[in-house]
Amino acid sequence: MSISQSLESIGFLSDFADSVLVYPIVLSIHLTCIALFGGMILMTNLRLLGLTFNSVTITQMVTNLRPWKLVGGTIMIATGLLLATSEATKYALNPFFWTKMIILGLIFVHGFVFRPIVYNRTEELDRSAAIPAKVKVAAILSLVLWTGMFTMGRLIAYWE
Amino acid sequence: MLLQNTFVDALNDAEWVFPLAECVHIGGFAIGVGSIALVDFRMLNLGLRQETTARILRYTELWTIVALIFVLFSGATLFLSQTHIYLINQIFPIKMYILLAALIYNFTIHRKVATMENPPPALSKVVAIMSLLLWVLVVFGGIFTGFLE
Repeated sequence: MSISQSLESIGFLSDFADSVLVYPIVLSIHLTCIALFGGMILMTNLRLLGLTFNSVTITQMVTNLRPWKLVGGTIMIATGLLLATSEATKYALNPFFWTKMIILGLIFVHGFVFRPIVYNRTEELDRSAAIPAKVKVAAILSLVLWTGMFTMGRLIAYWE
Repeated sequence: MLLQNTFVDALNDAEWVFPLAECVHIGGFAIGVGSIALVDFRMLNLGLRQETTARILRYTELWTIVALIFVLFSGATLFLSQTHIYLINQIFPIKMYILLAALIYNFTIHRKVATMENPPPALSKVVAIMSLLLWVLVVFGGIFTGFLE
């Protein structure tokens, strides 16, 4: 039995996939998180690019919203895991799913690279007159990666 | 009538239109609802506390409106490309009523209280919770339209 088959056969996961209501409810929670916390990611990046929230310091923007993004990210990963493992055999063959997972990996790489030089140095950034190039690169890459995430997420449904 | 329109035919013929419109729809509501949620979070005293609610509303409002326009247009595209399915769907009209309520609420009561000089904290909280609830219900309505008939 393959890994994906054994995952699917776990009791509560197969009950889950068979239920008419539970799957859409979990998917709705997944998407609600995108709406609530995706907006925060976007606004933080727009602030880094100097496009909005100009009277709010970068420090405030990053530190105030960070706990909420963590909560949102955790719920998103938890619900995403439920969705993917309940139909593991389908997802295992789905190229859009794997592209999405690669992008997710790249989002973590983005965090490792830019946290120490951008997101954890906001006070320094608030003092500088112009927005440094590394900040713009971090913000634009984040926007591109997250756009890729939800696009691939949606396209998963189109692979047969 | 709608189904005989050439624009609608073109939508039905192009396989990529529906998924593309869905992606715009999702990206749009992430920005639209997400920016409204930032105002709500402030009203609930949960985020960006150093700023006034009115100011956060001013920063986010344009993004909200532009994003919601994208959501409405992509939504209309989805509807027109599968009109027959949506018209017999039992969840879809419920979603539309909630959406209408959410839109009206957002630009009337929600806006009014968010721009008040010193609103009673309890009022702000109730208004914010109501706003979040309405938008979350719209998202649930959208997913359930796809899953139930």
